[in-house]
Amino acid sequence: MSKMKRIIVACGSGVATSQTVASKIESMCEDEGLNVNVDAVDIKSLESFIDQCDIYVSIVPTGLKDWGKPTISGIPFLTGIGIDEEFDKLKEMCQK
Amino acid sequence: MHYIGIILALTYIHIEHLVKEQIVMDENEVLLHEDLILLNYEAESKEELLENLSKILKEKGYVKDSFSEGVLQREIIYPTGLNTAGVKVAIPHTDAIHVEKPAILVALLNKPVSFKEMGSGVKDVEAKLIFMLAIKNPSRQVQTLGKLMSIFSEKDKLLSIYNSTTTKEVIDKLSKILS
Repeated sequence: MSKMKRIIVACGSGVATSQTVASKIESMCEDEGLNVNVDAVDIKSLESFIDQCDIYVSIVPTGLKDWGKPTISGIPFLTGIGIDEEFDKLKEMCQK
Repeated sequence: MHYIGIILALTYIHIEHLVKEQIVMDENEVLLHEDLILLNYEAESKEELLENLSKILKEKGYVKDSFSEGVLQREIIYPTGLNTAGVKVAIPHTDAIHVEKPAILVALLNKPVSFKEMGSGVKDVEAKLIFMLAIKNPSRQVQTLGKLMSIFSEKDKLLSIYNSTTTKEVIDKLSKILS
């Protein structure tokens, strides 16, 4: 059994976008049998959580800061467009 | 004498049922109101649109004066356009501190208004279906919002809402989705 990967999703005001994306990713990972823990935070709290995560899912402009963590976009999980490609990237990151 | 007992019992059960129904309805309908569904809406720019929609929410007592500025500022830093299939969407919102009562204002635009795409902040989104979210208590409303967002990946549902011709039609469709 591979080590559990901690995934973090952050959005602007922690209102619901990050939670919707987190929930979607969680269920897709469950279907694939991936060992993950997904957390949704607001962007202001991100700094205190980022060190503890293995993968960062971004729904805010990445141009603001490079967190130095494997990153994927969370938008496809909201719109459904490009969701498979993005999820494949996530799966690859989980294998490492 | 027995009749009174039976009538009281039946009345009690009836009221209890109505109360439960109202609570269930309240969970969704407290967010959706017919006077917050705007058909054939127009605006020349994103700024004008956001200001005008905020004004409507303010006039009806859902948000504070500061909401408009909050939404505009947030849109600059964390844009909310989504390049969804079928009809493009935007979900402008801001921090709960600017909100008095939670609500979702829905605007169906005749002509698209350009938003920046959520995430990249680079691509343009010609949005025609706007959901302005006034969130008071994020943890309480997260389920409803999640359900709303689940339709963004469903082209047919988005088109169906956008092609509605009456406010009642929009409310009925959205209520089903949010239930």
